[in-house]
Amino acid sequence: MKFINKTDIIIISVIIIICVIFLGVYKSLNTNTPVIAEIYFDSQLVKSIDLQQGTELVFSIPGHDHVVFHLYPDGSICFEKSNCRDKICVRSGRLNMVGEYAACLPNNIIMKISRKDKRASDDADIIIGAEG
Amino acid sequence: MTGLLFAAAIVLSIFENSIQLPIIAPGIKFGLSNIAVMFSLFYLGKNIAFLLVLMKAVFVLITRGAVAGFLSLSGGLLSVGIMTVLLIICKDKISYLLLSVSGAVFHNIGQLTAITIIYSDINLWIYLPVLMIAGIVSGIVTSTLLKVSLTAFNRLFKIKKY
Repeated sequence: MKFINKTDIIIISVIIIICVIFLGVYKSLNTNTPVIAEIYFDSQLVKSIDLQQGTELVFSIPGHDHVVFHLYPDGSICFEKSNCRDKICVRSGRLNMVGEYAACLPNNIIMKISRKDKRASDDADIIIGAEG
Repeated sequence: MTGLLFAAAIVLSIFENSIQLPIIAPGIKFGLSNIAVMFSLFYLGKNIAFLLVLMKAVFVLITRGAVAGFLSLSGGLLSVGIMTVLLIICKDKISYLLLSVSGAVFHNIGQLTAITIIYSDINLWIYLPVLMIAGIVSGIVTSTLLKVSLTAFNRLFKIKKY
């Protein structure tokens, strides 16, 4: 068994090129989409916040004062402080693009970025009695 | 021998967590403990490799909680599973490097699948390309380190290959 084959380099470069192209296309499609940040505790949505308001805000979700979020005027948001040990949530940095997420698993808190115009998954599918 | 490799895996992962690698995005790491798993897969057989993955997952479960343990288990099982299948299909034709890269990439895919199972409302597949590239890099790093350590091992003992 050899350490490396010639074909390895080709296979690996093809995969990397496909990934980079996918990332580039995704980024260019989503740079100017209005987004919100949704914060979940225990898989329940507890707060959603508009990222396009140009204000600065430092907040926590109810009952979890030890986890602090920071919204920046440029429309990005991050976990600023957390009492967890590994600090993966804080090191995730600022999020501002659809599909990005940061999680603090020890505290069971997850933040993800979604489209602003997206219907919530628990929205009603039909409207009853809308006759005027 | 299994105990020794388990200890080596734990030490490698603690060492990895204690050094901060500035170039790497948060949460992404080389998975140095996979060196021990790959070593056991190549030289001690797949059963020992699976046992090692199981022991690692139990260790993570005890020290870092249920979710982390489940993630470690699913990533590890898929990784060793894929490497075993590739070894059976390709035998000696596949290289250490490609084997290690596929192991690392599928380790990430396994963990991503596990997260999607636990948190059903969260769709993380956007991260797949990033994780694939990270897997390729970490696969190259671990296989190179394995090769270096094997050279050293071979000088010390004469290891019989399975």
